[in-house]
Amino acid sequence: MNSTIELLAPRYDIAWYPWAVQYFFMIAVSYASLWLTAPALIFGKQAWLPTARLALIACISTTLVAPVALLADLHQPLRFWHFYAYANTHSWMSIGSVVLPLYLISILGLAWLAWRPALQAQRNTAGIGGFIAKWLSMGSGSTPRALVAVVCLAALLLSSGIMFYTGAELAIVKARPLWNTIWLPPMLVATGFIAAAGLLLVLNRVSGLCSQTAIRQMLYVLLVACGVAGLIAFSWFLDGINAHVGSVAAALESVRYSPSWRNTALWGGITGIGLFAAVIVLLTRSPKRQPTLFAWAWLLGLVAIHMGWMFRWVVLMDVQHVARNSAGFHHYGIPAGSSGILGIVGTFGLWLAAILLIELFIPWRQAQQGGVSTPTPLDANASSDSLAATSDSLNAKQGAPNHG
Amino acid sequence: MDAIRRSLLGQLARLSAGAALVPFSSLANAGINQQPARREGDPTKRYGMLIDLRQCIGCQACTVSCHIENAAPLGQFRTTVSQYEVQHQESGELATFMLPRLCNHCENPPCVPVCPVEATYQQQDGIVVVDSDRCVGCAYCVNACPYDARFINERTQTADKCTFCSHRLEAGLLPACVESCVGGARIIGDMRDPNSQISRLINEHRDALMVLQPEKNTFPQVFYLGMDERFTTRPMAEPVALEVFDPHGQEMGYEFHH
Repeated sequence: MNSTIELLAPRYDIAWYPWAVQYFFMIAVSYASLWLTAPALIFGKQAWLPTARLALIACISTTLVAPVALLADLHQPLRFWHFYAYANTHSWMSIGSVVLPLYLISILGLAWLAWRPALQAQRNTAGIGGFIAKWLSMGSGSTPRALVAVVCLAALLLSSGIMFYTGAELAIVKARPLWNTIWLPPMLVATGFIAAAGLLLVLNRVSGLCSQTAIRQMLYVLLVACGVAGLIAFSWFLDGINAHVGSVAAALESVRYSPSWRNTALWGGITGIGLFAAVIVLLTRSPKRQPTLFAWAWLLGLVAIHMGWMFRWVVLMDVQHVARNSAGFHHYGIPAGSSGILGIVGTFGLWLAAILLIELFIPWRQAQQGGVSTPTPLDANASSDSLAATSDSLNAKQGAPNHG
Repeated sequence: MDAIRRSLLGQLARLSAGAALVPFSSLANAGINQQPARREGDPTKRYGMLIDLRQCIGCQACTVSCHIENAAPLGQFRTTVSQYEVQHQESGELATFMLPRLCNHCENPPCVPVCPVEATYQQQDGIVVVDSDRCVGCAYCVNACPYDARFINERTQTADKCTFCSHRLEAGLLPACVESCVGGARIIGDMRDPNSQISRLINEHRDALMVLQPEKNTFPQVFYLGMDERFTTRPMAEPVALEVFDPHGQEMGYEFHH
């Protein structure tokens, strides 16, 4: 083998900016948290009510912000209408441009239905809160629970479309061997669930809801999602270990020749295993010690969010630095402007604004996820789960600030 | 790890969960990601290019003339010539290898089906072009091209690429890179015409011709004569020093951004 030096090659810029990471992160948190509302919204499981309340605000806030990040990643954002004027059924991105607005509408509809009874209950409070509740609740008619379940089912179906198209969009790109693997789409979903469960743990803490049931449920979701992600990563590795080309070969080559890829692989592995181990430790402590330990579960939530986001950063940004036709790796420094740090901070800022507006004007803590216009009294034969859930919600009501 | 155990592990993985994902994969690749119909251009022609590497001296005249003809922004190229210094491991002898690069106007271009608005399309004469009035600048095509042949033009904020200078071909002129090549290394022509120079050269050297990254199944229509097989894929080479600083700490060369 001769030794070769590349003397002359252009510097190739990245084509997708950090906006893409923000979109993929926001939309993954959105669809994963939607699935976490399902036990309460479709099956009416009272024990999942606190989780569903948190999941719904996480879902709608990220669903509202994600398309903004997506539009911002276009170099010609004002031409977005071309997606509909010149749709190309051969392109996964074009299919996504049809699925995404439908998904957004279904989430808006679902949130409206789920919050409506609580809004109706707040109609008569004085001030702007009451005015908005009156305006948003659109009359005093009842909200059939069946309707909530049907809209939730439709949203779940559309969310599967989002999972499928976002994954396929990357996985079909043969030019980037690291993307061109069947294991990437399921990994995006698994890390999406990790990030969503993490976000719910954090929201549970900062909103003051502090539901023990929600913490336990989210730890179980984290346990399963981490396990699935580990299995996917392991299968991907086994699937490609004997191939000379393909995503595993490309990954091994990157790890072999680039110190920064080595660090990334190490960091990802340690964080994933650490998170998985910490979740197991928390779940296996004695019931006596659990409440004290669960108070710190939000820290694990932050780690989980970090994992979900970093996975997308590595997949979307770092992979673009691997040269395709020239030697080595392209250099990339995150620019300060809107195609870099400002874009990342701006998207999170917009998300924060969305969630604060919901906190200000929507009585989401009282939401019964559909049903009659006043909160239902305790069922005579309620299970212990629903007792716990209801006491959670009662505590929450006392702790909720009065915006009226 | 020995080869047998590796392959066994691989088989195990494929037999297990992977089997469930296979139908999705074929749907993603075949059903949806197919080539849309070609449009415009002369259906009686199929343009292609043959580059005789034995004639290329790496003078970059093609790079410069293309830059001027097509007014690409500084630092962004529709065509360029990669240069490598190759050292023989035993004799220590040095040689320079030149590799002109441009859009391959593939028979199965991966950049075309991904475009969400069909702004990039293949003409019936095989030339892949971009309608910059329609392009939304999503850069999906830039990521989908394995040859780094596309970029987002800083000025127009739309996808940009080599068009074989189709505006010049229509006027009966040769592309700027072909016109300016001092060694006559670049030959363009209609491959459907059996008497064209390119058809005759392809017939003559059929077995010696190579294309870039043939394993990607893009069927490139830029053929290289005198090519070293090791350069058809991403070269295993020490990369160029991208950051060369002057005494004031300013980066020299390569950095064209303002």
